[in-house]
Amino acid sequence: MSEFGSFLRECREAKRASNRQFSVRQLAARIGVEPSYLSKVERGQQPPPSEATIKALAAELEQDPDVLLAMAGKVSSELQAIIRQRPKLFAELIHQLKDMPDHAVLRLVREVRDGDW
Amino acid sequence: MIELMNDQLVFTFPEIHPDARLSIEFQRTLRIPDDGKTYSLPPGLGRFPLQHVDDFAADVPSAWLQRGGAMLPMYQAEAMWLNFNSTSVPGHWRPYPFAIKIATGKQCAVSGNAWASGMNRSPQDYLVAPTQPWLDGFVVKKGTIRQFVAMPLGSGYTAEEQLTGNAEHGGLQIAVCPMKRRVFEQRFPKRAKTRSRVSRSLDCMMTLCDAEATAGMDMGLAPGGSMRQEIYDDPFDNADWEMNTNSRCFVHLCNSLVWSSVTGSNPPHPAPTAKQYTKAGLPWFDYYDEKASINTGSSKLDGMKSVAQLSGEKGDVVLPENQSVSPENLVVYRKGLGKHELREGAF
Repeated sequence: MSEFGSFLRECREAKRASNRQFSVRQLAARIGVEPSYLSKVERGQQPPPSEATIKALAAELEQDPDVLLAMAGKVSSELQAIIRQRPKLFAELIHQLKDMPDHAVLRLVREVRDGDW
Repeated sequence: MIELMNDQLVFTFPEIHPDARLSIEFQRTLRIPDDGKTYSLPPGLGRFPLQHVDDFAADVPSAWLQRGGAMLPMYQAEAMWLNFNSTSVPGHWRPYPFAIKIATGKQCAVSGNAWASGMNRSPQDYLVAPTQPWLDGFVVKKGTIRQFVAMPLGSGYTAEEQLTGNAEHGGLQIAVCPMKRRVFEQRFPKRAKTRSRVSRSLDCMMTLCDAEATAGMDMGLAPGGSMRQEIYDDPFDNADWEMNTNSRCFVHLCNSLVWSSVTGSNPPHPAPTAKQYTKAGLPWFDYYDEKASINTGSSKLDGMKSVAQLSGEKGDVVLPENQSVSPENLVVYRKGLGKHELREGAF
């Protein structure tokens, strides 16, 4: 079972415990895929679905779409577009941040620059 | 440290206190009539969009880049007020206090003096948040201000030009200094939560089709109509402020018509006229803090001529709409009243 598939099933089952609309059949219908396909994805018998389907799943299951995409081995097209605009700069930035602790990354904010006046 | 978040300037001082956080928003509002009458406070019609000047380096004047800071678009037909929002500190249930200096064209809007570093008490050239929730204009007399209205820099109307004879800086300058942590904790020990806030922002979006044609890109703030607004004296001691730790920012005022070509996004619609707003029965506001000492205003600022007075002398027509109004829907806030006593209507 893939990490993505098992996480998906875990989230769906947790929702289903209090809301019957989160059966495989009903969830699949809402995101526009076949129930058998969703079931196979959960069991790791199919690779993760498309970005659009993952985002729809994230919205249904109230999960962060970027986290779900990352578990599926994908980067959102929006983030890709941001990186493609300045690939060298962002690659350097990400390399430099890779070992930084979370709290240090969170401290990275853009300040309003003060000049001479 | 100053960040630009959701069209607000957010000043934080983590080195002083983790919850020392002040946000300043620039609220769009209508121009009150500049007719010799003194009006109540007009509403907030939403925040002006705020951008880093560095993001538009290719299209803004080099002087703007040199000064750094942020920029926002203003129509000549509209006015601005500043909303100060200090974060409540958990456990103390009291917003962290800040001293805030506001200048236009590097002339202090409270004292009328030229920009000087630090916070000066005699005459007081700053405001204190949360004591002072809003600032709508130049402090001309005790309990009276003249509204901040936008005029092209170089037209002779701005406070800077009236006070110095030069059109050099324009824009708005802000400096913020936090209270010392030790003083805050002594003055405001931990206690139960009691406080509620006042608000004068409206969600409704107003439109107005009066456009203006101005040539330059730089706008400055000029004294507009007369308004009732109490500006409070600093209730704390001079030594309570962390004078060595202050942050400052230059906010450039960009002609709205130029904003689109610089940023590629449209500025908000101009504010409605006072007549349109009042006719729709929408509220005006008054705010009083009966326990606070009120600033007496600046004779320098009082000596300035309002836009209407000056345009009359020059023979210009700068205010296409300046009809007097008689607001009937008045919301009065009196600080210190209980939760159910905040609003008082005028009949």
